[in-house]
Amino acid sequence: MSRRLLMMCLSLLSLGGLVHCSKSSQEGAKPAPTAATPGATPAAAAVKTTALTAAQEQQASWIRNFNPLIAPGTARFPTRAGVYEPLMIFNTLKGEFVPWLAEKHAWSEDNKKLTLTLRSGVKWSDGQPFTAKDVAFTFELLKKHKALDFSAVWGFVDGVQAKDDTTVEFTLSRSYVPGLIYIVHQPIVPEHKWKDVADPVIYKNETPVATGPFTEVKVFQNQVFELGRNPNYWQKGKPAVESIRFPAYPGNDQANLALLTGELDWAGSFVPDIERVYVSKDKENNHFWFPLVGNTTMLYVNTTKKPFDDVRVRKAISMAIDRDQIVKVAMYGYTRPADATALSDAHNRWRNAKALEEGDWTKLDLAKANALLDEAGFKKGEDGVRVGADKKPLSFDVNVVTGWSDWVRAAQIITQNLKQVGFNATLKTYDFSPYFERIQKGEFDLSMGWSSEEPTPYHFYRDLMSSETLRPVGEIAARNWHRFGNKEADALLRAFEGTTDEAEQKKLADQMQVIFVQNAPSIPLFPGPSWGEYNTSRFTNFPSKDNPYAKLTPNSSPENLFVLTEVKPK
Amino acid sequence: MRHLLRNLGLYAVAAWASLTLNFLIPRLMPGDPASMMFARFQGQLQPEAIDALRLAFGFTDAPLYQQYFTYVGHLFQGDLGISVAYFPANVTEVIATGLGWTLLLSGIAVLISFALGTALGVVATWRRGGWLDSVMPPVLIFLGAFPYFWLAMVLLYGLGFVLGIFPLRHAYSDTLAPAFSGEFIFSVVQHMVLPVAAIVIATLGGWMLSMRSTMVGVLAEDYITMANAKGLSQKRIMFHYAARNALLPNVTGFGMALGFVLSGSLLTEIVFSYPGQGYLLIQAVRNQDYPLMQGIFLTITLAVLAANLLVDVLYVWLDPRTRAR
Repeated sequence: MSRRLLMMCLSLLSLGGLVHCSKSSQEGAKPAPTAATPGATPAAAAVKTTALTAAQEQQASWIRNFNPLIAPGTARFPTRAGVYEPLMIFNTLKGEFVPWLAEKHAWSEDNKKLTLTLRSGVKWSDGQPFTAKDVAFTFELLKKHKALDFSAVWGFVDGVQAKDDTTVEFTLSRSYVPGLIYIVHQPIVPEHKWKDVADPVIYKNETPVATGPFTEVKVFQNQVFELGRNPNYWQKGKPAVESIRFPAYPGNDQANLALLTGELDWAGSFVPDIERVYVSKDKENNHFWFPLVGNTTMLYVNTTKKPFDDVRVRKAISMAIDRDQIVKVAMYGYTRPADATALSDAHNRWRNAKALEEGDWTKLDLAKANALLDEAGFKKGEDGVRVGADKKPLSFDVNVVTGWSDWVRAAQIITQNLKQVGFNATLKTYDFSPYFERIQKGEFDLSMGWSSEEPTPYHFYRDLMSSETLRPVGEIAARNWHRFGNKEADALLRAFEGTTDEAEQKKLADQMQVIFVQNAPSIPLFPGPSWGEYNTSRFTNFPSKDNPYAKLTPNSSPENLFVLTEVKPK
Repeated sequence: MRHLLRNLGLYAVAAWASLTLNFLIPRLMPGDPASMMFARFQGQLQPEAIDALRLAFGFTDAPLYQQYFTYVGHLFQGDLGISVAYFPANVTEVIATGLGWTLLLSGIAVLISFALGTALGVVATWRRGGWLDSVMPPVLIFLGAFPYFWLAMVLLYGLGFVLGIFPLRHAYSDTLAPAFSGEFIFSVVQHMVLPVAAIVIATLGGWMLSMRSTMVGVLAEDYITMANAKGLSQKRIMFHYAARNALLPNVTGFGMALGFVLSGSLLTEIVFSYPGQGYLLIQAVRNQDYPLMQGIFLTITLAVLAANLLVDVLYVWLDPRTRAR
């Protein structure tokens, strides 16, 4: 292990960061390939084989909390799906809603009323029946406590009514079809238990009563907890797994080590060079699947600043970037270069061939990039740096987060690439907080960033092009960090909100892609992989490339419910 | 006694100053916890969620001085607030999950390191030029030059992962429930060996060398010659005459080390997934969890002050000169 890696680990560990942070410290601590005795540790050998061992959250010790309504990620996995359940689940790989607690949904003629028909015979884990009243009650809770309404459902819903035991009707304030996912993905809580909760915002719900496959807290210690089956689960014979164990791992390092020792059956962490590090240890049992259905990593361009307000400059920047190298060097070849629609594989069926054809600007083409910049009036000076009309050289910063090593490597390649076409680009690394503050306030030149993940391209493009999400520089914007608004796109988005007709939606999405491709409001780099690993020595029927019934990753709720209910003991 | 009382006053002032700093420093950092939480879900949450998060965490735009008074007021009621990173658990509850383990791990490590290092220092100086005196210092300095989390990684990799002699993580076996049984205690000890070893190896050199250097000075004193002339036993001279007097600097060091016990083993805990306090602090900083940060800093500050008080008392006992006046 080199000194540099060490220092990196040290600074990472001390400075902190998010998911990516642990990623890179993991690289630092990567065990050599030659040494491995899987299952040799006393701890691994003692683990009961009836329990599926999974790693999803990174914590050093567990706090008992099974409240599905509070901020995602604060309650223990899998509270939001697995303990409690949603009405329907969107399956990203299949691109469709799968009925769950609700059997079907229907929109009224004007798309302002949504009727959900609930499954009958569903019981809470204490034996009480699950009814439409529970659904209405849950949504009323969100209305009463704004702090619980994470998808801002009450921004477009006017009222919720339980018509009878199995029918719930949502009245919307406007036709808003993309709102369906926020309604049906809401975890539902039992009225008979929650009506007496004084403050659901800070309620820890230590002994959950729920409809999900795993509701019994069998063990809860601060370094491990175990959830057992729901005796009243509505899917007969499921789950096949008796219980799930969650040992606490403070970071990717420790989770990956557990993967290597064969202790973990299911995980969703980033593992560098996984074929060599993980699969080769036990080719028969160790598997991974990283489908490219995550969000797209972007290079955001501040469109309020000169010269980035010029679409030719944005396209030229994009054409100068060597995405193949980024994918290979920064991303271990886990992904592919993005195309000009910026859509990930989750949206494959929406991709417009015509827009793709027009979008040549994500392909490396230095000659064309140079020509575009010349045309835009930025001539190369004597030192090879381009100067604008004001005779000032084109200098700018590329912002990235300290310690997110994959992004830092990508940004290094980008600055090198940009120098070749005459930009004086400098890499600037910031701690996460200042980075995020800058990007939200629009105080940057170029910056790496992520995009949104939704079932349809509607939200994706709304956050990239809608003037509704536009905020002035200096004011915090949760999305649209690059500050780009387009009237045509606004109209398309409006139309999309009002239609359930798939053909119509496809047509609108096609046009959105064309506008995106023409305007290049931000520069897509690569679609994000969805990390997932599994070990088949004790359990089978995990989703995989050959059996893609759902995303493998435990990190994506409520989709992980598919895996929780389908996995079987060997 | 007057001496101790005056010191108590000083400690009170120090405690107040650090409380105030605890309050101010996190608030001077850029960003806010809601944004951090939001960002953790890169693109999976709606923008509106930020507002919901802010509401849930109960952020106020109240002027700083008002926040300060609320903070101090709550503090005296033993209410450290609600943690953001571990929402909605109370800070006291969060700290309670790790404090015991951290105290156990680092406390034992510091004790072993201090006792062993000091003893080695005494013996090495007594036999100056012997093999112990010539071999140990350079070796220990070399080992001490590595940060202890790195030593921890090497131990984890070598003895834990490759050889499988020691467990890789946690404070006790996952299949056991905490209990006062032989099996459980054995498991705790077994899980503690590597992390404690990492800290001891890294810090032993310091204790030994500082003891050695004061011992060298003390051994040249006239009263040692006098004791030798009186024909006292070597053991008595070594421990009662030389070591006791040479111990003072090390006792000061011990007090300091005790205080930092809470913060010191942070990285080692992370390497071994030890359910201690170290990771909590990192989580708190990552998530801009002001209440948790304040709570942890508070425990560290109080621990440092308490340890110093303890050293003061020890000093008075060890060195009669401090009793004068």
